[in-house]
Amino acid sequence: MLPLALLTAAQGKPMLVELKNGVTFNGHLVECDNFMNVTLREVYQTSADGEKFWKMKEMFVKGNMIKYFRIADSILDTAMEEQERARQSGRSRGGGRGGRGGPPSRGARGGGPGRGGPPGGGRGGGPGRGGPGGGRGGPGGRGRGAAR
Amino acid sequence: MDALIPFTTSGSLVDLVDKKVLVVLRDGRKLIGVFRSYDQFANFLLESTVERLHHQLDYADKDIGVLLIRGENVVALGEIDLIAEDQVPLRPVPSQEIELKIAQENERRDRDHAVRDRVLEAHGFVVDGREGDAY
Repeated sequence: MLPLALLTAAQGKPMLVELKNGVTFNGHLVECDNFMNVTLREVYQTSADGEKFWKMKEMFVKGNMIKYFRIADSILDTAMEEQERARQSGRSRGGGRGGRGGPPSRGARGGGPGRGGPPGGGRGGGPGRGGPGGGRGGPGGRGRGAAR
Repeated sequence: MDALIPFTTSGSLVDLVDKKVLVVLRDGRKLIGVFRSYDQFANFLLESTVERLHHQLDYADKDIGVLLIRGENVVALGEIDLIAEDQVPLRPVPSQEIELKIAQENERRDRDHAVRDRVLEAHGFVVDGREGDAY
């Protein structure tokens, strides 16, 4: 799943956007485009030093100002399942593109080495990833926002 | 794989997918996570990410989770050797502890360098900045 595909799939979901200057925005993604421009709703802005906070109803962020997005784990999971389902149904109807020789397709997101995350990490969301068929660590309450 | 995919900059990233990687950002942050995907802009999608803080031989990891990094901000990306990783003489410490130490060191360096920088600047030298400023 391409990075921007995840962003598209995360529309309507809560996320944190950090700008290049260190300012962060916590809010729900309303819309995004291929330039990574985004609009957010119910936003908490945090200054770069983490000392000051603002709240905004709605805002627009120009893509080239963005450093990164922090997205809830569950959103990536659902998006990948969704994509997999779409691929399956596309194939059964015979309309599939039949892969594209990009990164080797991994079955059910089978983990290479390094699954289970960086050692000592511990995601704070229960039992982590780990074992074959192992469930996800549950949606760890995430997002810092004004509570920091 | 070597024969099938030409060694281009984007082709070489294919091999890193689903591996544990270290990403260095322009602001000096070091992120460790599982490399899930990328695109032509070197936007990266990392899963189970942690931010690693270093102070001398001590380190601490801060949980981040899923991270979508805009390519512009990336300085470097490299695979982590899972075996060699365990042989590095680094000592894990609580993150509060290391944040305090880093803050103290920054403060001390700012103080120490303030005088020196003024003198250097007066002589026409360009003063060096903190980590991250070089990019």
